[in-house]
Amino acid sequence: MRRNVLSAAALACTAVLATAMPAFADDPSPVPDTTAAPTDSREQAAETDPSPVPSDRGAAEATPAPAEDTDGVTVVPRGAPDTGDAPVAGQSGGDGMLIGGGAAAVLAAGGAAVFVVRRRASGA
Amino acid sequence: MTPFSRRAVVAVAVACLVTGCGGGGGSADDGPAATATPGDRPSAAAGSPVSGPRPPARSVPVGLQIPAIGVDTPVVRLGLAPDRTVEVPPITADDPAGWYRYSPTPGRPGPSVILGHVTVGAHGDGVFRHLARLRRDDGITVRLENGTAARFAVTSVRTVAKADFPTEDVYGDTARPELRLITCGGPLEDGEYRDNVIVFAALRATAP
Repeated sequence: MRRNVLSAAALACTAVLATAMPAFADDPSPVPDTTAAPTDSREQAAETDPSPVPSDRGAAEATPAPAEDTDGVTVVPRGAPDTGDAPVAGQSGGDGMLIGGGAAAVLAAGGAAVFVVRRRASGA
Repeated sequence: MTPFSRRAVVAVAVACLVTGCGGGGGSADDGPAATATPGDRPSAAAGSPVSGPRPPARSVPVGLQIPAIGVDTPVVRLGLAPDRTVEVPPITADDPAGWYRYSPTPGRPGPSVILGHVTVGAHGDGVFRHLARLRRDDGITVRLENGTAARFAVTSVRTVAKADFPTEDVYGDTARPELRLITCGGPLEDGEYRDNVIVFAALRATAP
């Protein structure tokens, strides 16, 4: 009987100790350290806050870039494309001036020729 | 043997069954997921049925040929202007066509967009001067950087007012590989063209 009682008591003590160990192990755990760590990381995050802003902008600009690697239009442009630089009115005007100038030169040459011929005829 | 042991055996059997079902459920999830992945591009699969041409590998366009209107031009890349409108090719004597780089490369599923000028100011006619003359089934060949070519056929030609530009029809997703050629058209109003001419084309073949 005594042996049974003693062994039961020993078993109970062992069980109590075994269950208590994790509790002991919890106590020395660096609770403050772990709480300090997040604050540090938050501070770091706060310090790095400014960087995400430009990085977001960069991402917004960079997102459309790899469209070549995807199927489908990744960025839909605004409005209608302006794919026509209207023909310059001066271009046809220039052609007209060229034609007019040529005609005037021909007339002048003809007039000069007639003048010379008449003068020679009257001189003879 | 005893009622207790029977209950234990039944409990273990039930547990095994439940565990087995869980595993089976996982694979069933994989099943739909696996079918959903192709389902994302079913359009591509459905749009390019067995008889359809196989889309070429992704490669940027470098040249464009449209024999019906005598076009044979290099292709440059275009992006977005600061006002978020699409960039247009440079105004030069031999103006090239330009591929909108945020659209698929020609031959890939979706609408690949290529733009060109109808006129280039003092330089006269632009590369897409006669785009509106294209008719259904006219051929368009886009040469790609990797040496292959995507051959398209015109499906329709539309002239639309710029004010009513059909953004969804032009840039909206399509199930099959398609091509959009865009230029200006219509009468001049205050020195600007009133309309856009848009050619819609579909992939017919790819060439090595």
